[in-house]
Amino acid sequence: MNLCRKPNLAHFAVTIIGKDRTGIVADASEVLYKLGCNVEDSSCTMLGGEFAMILIVSHEKPFSKKQLEADFALKNANTGLSAFIRPLKDDEVCYQGPVGELCLISVYGSDKSGIVYRVTRELADRGVSIADLNTKLIGTPDDPVYVLVLEAALPNGMTVEDVTNLLEKLKKELSVEISVRLITPVSL
Amino acid sequence: MAVRNIVTYPNQILKTPCQVVEQIDDWVRQLVDDLVDTMHAGPGSVGVASPQIGVSLRVCVIDVSKNRHGKDNNHGLMLIINPEILARSGAAVMREGCMSVPDYTGDVERATELTLRFTEPDGTVREIEASGFEAVAIQHELDHLDGLLFLDRIASLKTGLFRRKSYK
Repeated sequence: MNLCRKPNLAHFAVTIIGKDRTGIVADASEVLYKLGCNVEDSSCTMLGGEFAMILIVSHEKPFSKKQLEADFALKNANTGLSAFIRPLKDDEVCYQGPVGELCLISVYGSDKSGIVYRVTRELADRGVSIADLNTKLIGTPDDPVYVLVLEAALPNGMTVEDVTNLLEKLKKELSVEISVRLITPVSL
Repeated sequence: MAVRNIVTYPNQILKTPCQVVEQIDDWVRQLVDDLVDTMHAGPGSVGVASPQIGVSLRVCVIDVSKNRHGKDNNHGLMLIINPEILARSGAAVMREGCMSVPDYTGDVERATELTLRFTEPDGTVREIEASGFEAVAIQHELDHLDGLLFLDRIASLKTGLFRRKSYK
């Protein structure tokens, strides 16, 4: 079963962020649990000193975002969690990106403005859909290094070599290293 | 000869270590044939283990020769009874999916070389050196025989849910 086959459910995107501390996920999931919501899909991670959660939650219809907002506002008053809730239309619930090859692209080099923008714009203009992206500033204050790692779903017919060639010019222009490798899942 | 239905988790047969085959008889040989048919019917499948068709015996079939990752380095169709990995070395991560865990994939670290001993349906005992994708496939299928799924071996939290059209 996947998220696309539940017409009786209302879905919401819930974004929660707060200063990291032990119990932040338990606090957020408690609100959802007590309301009778199910966490369908989620990604939670540390960003700097903040803990960020993005969740797709569902509830039997009828159910309004007002109930979610009210309970998160109450939790926020007690714990400092900020929550943003967006109702999802049926066609927003499941992944609808390209179904071609999946590749992992690593970009790293001396920190400079525009690395994320230039790389993602280049990919977007060729119909490459980003499924996952992480960046990190590493190195020392005197010698900062920027690391960008992303997973991209290629349009049908596009190969890893095509993507490598596509980013070659950018590699020289930004003075960064770029490597592309295939990570399309294998069925076993 | 028959294509059998694939058992999916949470069916507990997938989490149960399989019994050793004590005697290779016509029933076991029929099981092997059915596993081959089921593998060929699966979209891009390179292996099927007995518990995936509801039989808790240490039997599986593997053929990576038609897959782009395995076409240049393989032993063709292997009919495997009572397998045993005698040695393994190396490590590499690959994103795996499984017919018994539909709609989900995960990065799994596996040995890149191994020595496998197994018995064939005619009773011949074989020992092979496998590497690369074929070694990955062998470890995945043998995990099934030990009651393990790739979910038990996820190497990172980077997982995906992608519609998968073809693996060839």
